Amino acid sequence: MNDNVIVVEDLVKYFDGRCVLDGINLKVPRGCIYGLLGRNGSGKTTIIRILLGLEPPTRGRTFLLDAASTELSAELHSRVGYVAEGHNLIQNYRVGRLIKLCKDLSLQWNDEFFNHLIETFRLPADRRVKELSIGMRAQLNLALAMAIDPELLIFDDPTLGLDTVARRQFLELAIELIQQQGRTILFCSHILGDVERIADKIGILAAGKLVVDCPLEELKERVKKLRVIFPESAPPNLYLTEIINQQIQGREMVITVANWNKQKQTVLETFKPSSCTEIPMSLEDIFIECTNPNPVLITG
Amino acid sequence: MYALIKREIQDHIAYFVGAAIFSAVFIVISVSLTHSKGTEDPSIFAIGLGTPVATVVILGFCAMGANQMYTDKNRKISAFLSTLAVSRSRILLARIITGILAILTLLVPLAVTAVVLSHLSNPPIPMYPGMVLETFTISFLMAFACYCLGLLTGWNSSKITPTLGGIVLTCILVPLIFVKGFGVHIVVILVLFIIASLLRAWHTFMTTSL
Amino acid sequence: MKPLINYPVKVFATGFVVLVLLSLPLLWIRSACETSLIEGMPRGAGYVSITPSRLVPPELENDPNVVSHSSVYGGRYTREPLSLGIADYFRTRKPGGRRSNVYLFESKGNWMYFDKKSGLIVHYYVDVPILPPIPQPGRINRPMQSVQLYIGPEGVSETQDKTLGRFIDPIINRRFDGERKLTLYDKKLRRFFKIDFNQRTIIKGPKLKKDDPHKPVQIGKLSKNTFLLNLSWQPPKIKATDEDKNEKGPPKPIIPTDDNRDAGPYLLVLDKSGRIDLLDKETLEFAGTAGRLPAPQTYFPSKDYVTPRDLLDYQVLPLALTTQFFKDPEMVRVAFGDPSYSPERSPFKVERKYLGMFAASVSRNGTAMALAVFDEKGREIKIYSKLTKQQRGRTTSVRSSKAVFFETPWAPVFTIGKSLAENLHPPILSVASYFTASAFEAASGHRALFFLPNSFIAMKGRDYRGNFAERFISGLWLILPSIILAIWLACRVSKDAVVFGLSENARLYWIIGTIAFGLTAYIAYRLTRLKITLVTCQNCGKMRRPDMAKCHRCKSDWHVPELIPPAWRVLNGTEQVPEDSAADAEETVAE
Repeated sequence: MNDNVIVVEDLVKYFDGRCVLDGINLKVPRGCIYGLLGRNGSGKTTIIRILLGLEPPTRGRTFLLDAASTELSAELHSRVGYVAEGHNLIQNYRVGRLIKLCKDLSLQWNDEFFNHLIETFRLPADRRVKELSIGMRAQLNLALAMAIDPELLIFDDPTLGLDTVARRQFLELAIELIQQQGRTILFCSHILGDVERIADKIGILAAGKLVVDCPLEELKERVKKLRVIFPESAPPNLYLTEIINQQIQGREMVITVANWNKQKQTVLETFKPSSCTEIPMSLEDIFIECTNPNPVLITG
Repeated sequence: MYALIKREIQDHIAYFVGAAIFSAVFIVISVSLTHSKGTEDPSIFAIGLGTPVATVVILGFCAMGANQMYTDKNRKISAFLSTLAVSRSRILLARIITGILAILTLLVPLAVTAVVLSHLSNPPIPMYPGMVLETFTISFLMAFACYCLGLLTGWNSSKITPTLGGIVLTCILVPLIFVKGFGVHIVVILVLFIIASLLRAWHTFMTTSL
Repeated sequence: MKPLINYPVKVFATGFVVLVLLSLPLLWIRSACETSLIEGMPRGAGYVSITPSRLVPPELENDPNVVSHSSVYGGRYTREPLSLGIADYFRTRKPGGRRSNVYLFESKGNWMYFDKKSGLIVHYYVDVPILPPIPQPGRINRPMQSVQLYIGPEGVSETQDKTLGRFIDPIINRRFDGERKLTLYDKKLRRFFKIDFNQRTIIKGPKLKKDDPHKPVQIGKLSKNTFLLNLSWQPPKIKATDEDKNEKGPPKPIIPTDDNRDAGPYLLVLDKSGRIDLLDKETLEFAGTAGRLPAPQTYFPSKDYVTPRDLLDYQVLPLALTTQFFKDPEMVRVAFGDPSYSPERSPFKVERKYLGMFAASVSRNGTAMALAVFDEKGREIKIYSKLTKQQRGRTTSVRSSKAVFFETPWAPVFTIGKSLAENLHPPILSVASYFTASAFEAASGHRALFFLPNSFIAMKGRDYRGNFAERFISGLWLILPSIILAIWLACRVSKDAVVFGLSENARLYWIIGTIAFGLTAYIAYRLTRLKITLVTCQNCGKMRRPDMAKCHRCKSDWHVPELIPPAWRVLNGTEQVPEDSAADAEETVAE
């Protein structure tokens, strides 16, 4: 058995001549909670759909639970729980009928756990899915995904539409799942606070590439935002590589650098700055820096 | 598989009900024709019943196939089902089996009625041996071919292509019966046509994005 | 989501669907044009007649009282020139139809059919006793009774019995004898049988050898499709005599003519080759040749001899002279045909003389007719297959098939329409039609979907003039538009295949397939071509496929200029810098 539950190799995807993914390589090891981030239209949902076999790749290969995504069997599907963006359920079905259908089609079904979730979420069985609020649909989708006791969970913006309390409930549920051994979660969300709370590894998509793919703590170590004050006007070029963002205002330079190390420290010190202080960054701050389309800005 | 077939039948129950109603109506027409004209001249049935049956076949089963695919594509039903413990091939197979069941719902009662009426009203000689079997086999194949055309044209986001395309193509196909009559030639053509269109529909469904 | 079928299977499946859906409208167009040509044929082109008929004994034909000579007339009905398959299906399966095993059916209780399971002919009838003309007191009349007889090669019985034997593939004379006799031929047993229902006996004729040239396909009443052709004969007619002065009416036949037109002491037997033989009714042995089916002169003349399969319709009308001798010598009765008589007025002697036969035929595509007269020895006396027309005071004759294409109103439009519809058909199937021209039965030729036995190229295939190469090249000329269209479409496919990066083999197969199958292949290509949006290659500037790792034209790698990813990466716990960015940084630091 492969240690990597999800493997993506040189994935390229074009939509009507427009490139969305340009050579993505990604591995999600077993038991990991992987947060896949990116701006709107960066290709997160596309990667997930290709992984699940809902979309054909233009080039490259993807593997899910040791099987190619283009050849996923019914048994493999039964080991994957999926909460889609927008909660794609059969809208005109009643909740009870949808539950029965999912139950009949599943190979394993945790009735006790599912009923517990339904009671917790208080979902009405006789109402049609399209008559539910977005939050209730999200809860139903979540319950259906978890009831099959999946080995791999894929969440594509699962808390979209959930209120704060429901979001918290979902996170706690996710944490509960995490504590069960062998579960792997691939998690996409725009609420980075939630991702930061539970993710082990982070991936960030930008301009069709996976620009970040490392553990969360390591990311915070390797991406540094520094405020540097120079005795005279700040030099326009510090001759540093991997500058994510640079903002110069007079003597002050705020610079965000990837893969900060001693070598880069040494290079900076050659310019004899007056002071150099690190600005702490949350995941959200890092994400904004990494996906900012204007890396160099000089004002003043 | 049973759950998938049951889902398809429940979602398209209108076609089954329609098929049953049309079957009952056609049975009444054939009984009254038998009563008034007898069964000595089956061409009366061919004209009196054949035209409405052909119309139902053209419009009804093509519409069913097109509707199944169109609603799937636009409501993303297969996209949802594919994430469960179900493969695309099973989804499509369940769909096709449902179509076959709907066709049988229309034709089997008619066939039974035809056999009974011919036994009751014909003299005890083989007037038209095998004719009921031949005509109903070919009617089934033609209905299935129209259904397959619906499957081919229905996988579309626009409403116009499945509607117009399906109607036009089935209007081209159904007169094959008038051209060739009921015989071995048309059976061969229809069987090959059904296999070819099913292969094409299968390939399209299996490779398309959901 | 892996495709379950490979590319060639997908192509063939799509191609077949397209072929069927394209062939059907073309069939309707061809049928419409052919039917319009036939229905619009000038009246004179739809019938042929011969006067005098040449079979009547001279003493009757040249009688001084004759005001109109005997004539034979063959005319074509245009009501249903080219029948649909469904009509043909029901028509031929009705009792008495070509494909029906029920030879006779009357709802009052008289039927005859062949039971395949038992191999016996079953005849059910109601036996009505013949009452004497004067009621006889004390006579007990036999009541009516229904009788069911089982007839096999070995005998006739009222019970089904294995000792009766089995017929396997019988052909019966569908003109039933008033004396309740039936003659049939079994193809598999290769012998004739004569059944006498009154005597309940069966007589077997000699068995034909396996290599016997006789291959009967029809006996007695020889006709194929009675809805298309009407063959009739009129005897010489005389004016009213002085004794009939009080009667004013049209001329009457010189002697009676009975509707029962059989061949006197013989039975006509149609052979598979088109030859018509005479079968002696008593001995059930062949007694010579009566003639042949005449070959209509089509636009591309085919051989002089035609088989029943090559004709859309044919009819044969024998002529016999019957002389009935009664006890009263003055009551000698002479008539054409075979008049029946009541038992109380039966003659003590009947002489039947076979005079000859008339045979008419309609060509495969329904546009040409022929009428022939054969004498009692089977010699052709007269054959007529031309239309006579008056032009500038002169009488000229032209083949009726030519009349169709030039004399019919709107003929050029329909002829060109038919030709265009044939030229949209796949060229390879048109060429195959050339070689299989005679393989199709004529009555179903106009319903053929893929091979076109009624097309111009198929007609050329049946043309017997010239050598093979000349005929074939002439045939190719007829489908020249189709070939040009196929080549043009093949060029388009070739160019498109280059743009879409198909392999050389795939491109070659598509070119060959498009030349062979024309429009069908082109449509199939467009439907099966990969549905992908091409993008511009940054290296060569031409369109390339995004699903290929390298440009299929210049073999360069991918560049996606619209995406400008950052130069840095934070990957997998180790510092990894894109190669270009690392080299730039080193140079910069060195400077």
